[in-house]
Amino acid sequence: MSNVAAQETAPTVRSSAEGNKPKHTAPPQWAGGSWIARFLRRAYADPILAPDVKKPASLFYNADERPTAAIALSNGMQHVGLIAINLVYPLLVCRAVGVPVTVTEEMLSLGMIVLAAGTVIQVLRLGPIGSGFMLPSTFTATYFAPSLLAARLGGLPLVFGMTVFAGAFEAALAPLLNRLRTYLPVEVSGLVIFMIGVAAGLAGLRTLLGPSAAAVTSPEWIVAGITLGSMAGLNIWGKGIARMLCALIGLTVGYLVAIPAGLLTSARLAPVFSAAWLGFPGFGHISWSFDPALIAPFAIASVAAAMKAAGTITICQKMNDANWVRPDMRSVTRGVLTDGVATMLAGLAGGVGTNTSTPSAGLAAATGVASRNVAIAAAGIFFVLGFCPKLTAVLAITPRAVVVAALIFTVTFIMINGLQVMMSRMLDARRTLVLGLGILAGMTIEVFPQSVKLLPSSIAAVAGSSLVSATVVALVLNLIFRIGVRKIATLEIKRDQVNAQKVEDFFTRQSGAWGARPDVAKRAAFGVAQLVDAIADTCWESGTMTVRASFDEFNFDIDVTYPGERIDFPDERPSVEQIRDSEDGARLLAGFMLRRNADRVRSGIKDGQCTVHFHFEH
Amino acid sequence: MDVIEQEAGSVTIVEPRGRIDSVTAKEFGDRLASLLNTGRHRLVIDLKSISYISSAGFRQLLIANKSTEEKNGKLALCGIAGEVKRLFEIGAFGDLFSIYTTREDGIASVQ
Repeated sequence: MSNVAAQETAPTVRSSAEGNKPKHTAPPQWAGGSWIARFLRRAYADPILAPDVKKPASLFYNADERPTAAIALSNGMQHVGLIAINLVYPLLVCRAVGVPVTVTEEMLSLGMIVLAAGTVIQVLRLGPIGSGFMLPSTFTATYFAPSLLAARLGGLPLVFGMTVFAGAFEAALAPLLNRLRTYLPVEVSGLVIFMIGVAAGLAGLRTLLGPSAAAVTSPEWIVAGITLGSMAGLNIWGKGIARMLCALIGLTVGYLVAIPAGLLTSARLAPVFSAAWLGFPGFGHISWSFDPALIAPFAIASVAAAMKAAGTITICQKMNDANWVRPDMRSVTRGVLTDGVATMLAGLAGGVGTNTSTPSAGLAAATGVASRNVAIAAAGIFFVLGFCPKLTAVLAITPRAVVVAALIFTVTFIMINGLQVMMSRMLDARRTLVLGLGILAGMTIEVFPQSVKLLPSSIAAVAGSSLVSATVVALVLNLIFRIGVRKIATLEIKRDQVNAQKVEDFFTRQSGAWGARPDVAKRAAFGVAQLVDAIADTCWESGTMTVRASFDEFNFDIDVTYPGERIDFPDERPSVEQIRDSEDGARLLAGFMLRRNADRVRSGIKDGQCTVHFHFEH
Repeated sequence: MDVIEQEAGSVTIVEPRGRIDSVTAKEFGDRLASLLNTGRHRLVIDLKSISYISSAGFRQLLIANKSTEEKNGKLALCGIAGEVKRLFEIGAFGDLFSIYTTREDGIASVQ
């Protein structure tokens, strides 16, 4: 197998269809040779989409197109409205520590500036950083439960220090994401998302109902009910912008109702009245500390953040390309790395963890405006708001009934999203046990927090979080239950008995028996049938071809061995003239199609035996 | 592979059925060439009953497309769905042919 690796390369992701290039409406021209002009051109003006990308009909502006300033600004404001609801996370962390309102104000002001920075670095392309997509940054429920844990153990400095760690961990994870798929299967991702929702929701409820919480008054129940009811009502029956911004509108309604309900007395409103309209945020609250006991919860949360960011970037890729075939992992890696850097910045600036905003990707798809200019506009708005102390004072004194109602509303969707991700896989006995026992391990910590004392003290410190317990149990069981998962089947085809239907039947039968996805099985069947078709007349003159298929749930691999010559797998499609007018046209095209059909292709030849390896990710 | 032919005025509808691979592609190409040589220059190829098309099949479609253009005729494809649609995508053929969703649209486009 000395030459087997000779041709290994990843297939191109984009279609190379001729024509259909996106129309660029006068991108900014930073002409001239100054280093600033060159920097801006490389970081922002150069298109991020491949020239052969086909713009979907539903999109008015793709990532590279430039809408007018009015369109960019109005869309930017919608994204800010959508993201603003997530300011409840830093707010609740501040409440958990019981810091003065002024510290909360500083944290929120800097938080908005951090969101602006996170959005800008995602949209720019600076070295390995930046996916280039219109993907605003937002605070996230993912880091909420670990941040509350850190707040209780070591106050805000520990929250900030561990957030820096989590960001660094996510950034380090970014290049490894694809290789870790085996250990982080989709259903376990779903479990992590579900437990993030459960842990965040219960943590929020504890601020109302927990043993150390002040008793909930009747007006608080009423305000919480109206807040949650407004959000749910607008989400279910609302239309257009009202539905899109239901959480923000509900939060505003709850806030306004809280005033006549007596939850916002003149004393509580005093910081708002005394705050200036414009001012620089303070940095006095920022310091950092680190606790090894919190590595596990923050690391698991950062894995979840990385997976969520990868998913959101994939949505952006798909949204911008009608010919999208599969995720472009280079863009995903850049985006996840940037997401980690944004979280590091948040921690350094005295904030909680951030993540790419999935609802914003949904909003861009709904409005058809995915231009990067919109992200710049949203970042600009957040940046300006960061210098408005009066606004942050308003946010800082939000009554707990309103904040918790908003939190419950958002985590409901997170929990159900997690369930959907879990149910997207065929749940056999192995997965059922992995998920069931994982959920039970997490719930045990929530319901019986004292149970961690049964564990050795070194483990108890790590296992004291429902998110960690659930994830660790699921990951360990997933590894154990993978024993014996790989299945192998072989098919032999004699040169004088070539039958493409037989090849197809073989893959249909095996994929059914193995539980492989039908779309992957079809790609595999096409790969072998097209290869046989292409080599039968020219490269494979006699003897027997052996097709060896192996499957282990994440990988569908096929090795085809035959006596004969090697076929080329070009990256670029042969020209129309080459395909049409050359006798080798069909074979040249076959090589190109086979490269694009599989996730990886390689071929080699030794002692007259040619081997072609197709790899399909499952 | 079977090939069904129908006529709708000046338009000939060709409906191959089964697999177009290296074994059957030549026969399919010959059929198209024969139609063009007999003056049927407005062709709609309905691929709805095709389960598989290999590179050899695509080559025959490209040859027919060029021959039609040389004879000032028109060729449209329709009924491309499922696995065949995916093969058109991985071959990046979307813009090399006039492709329509329905047979009626294909006929209207070549008339």
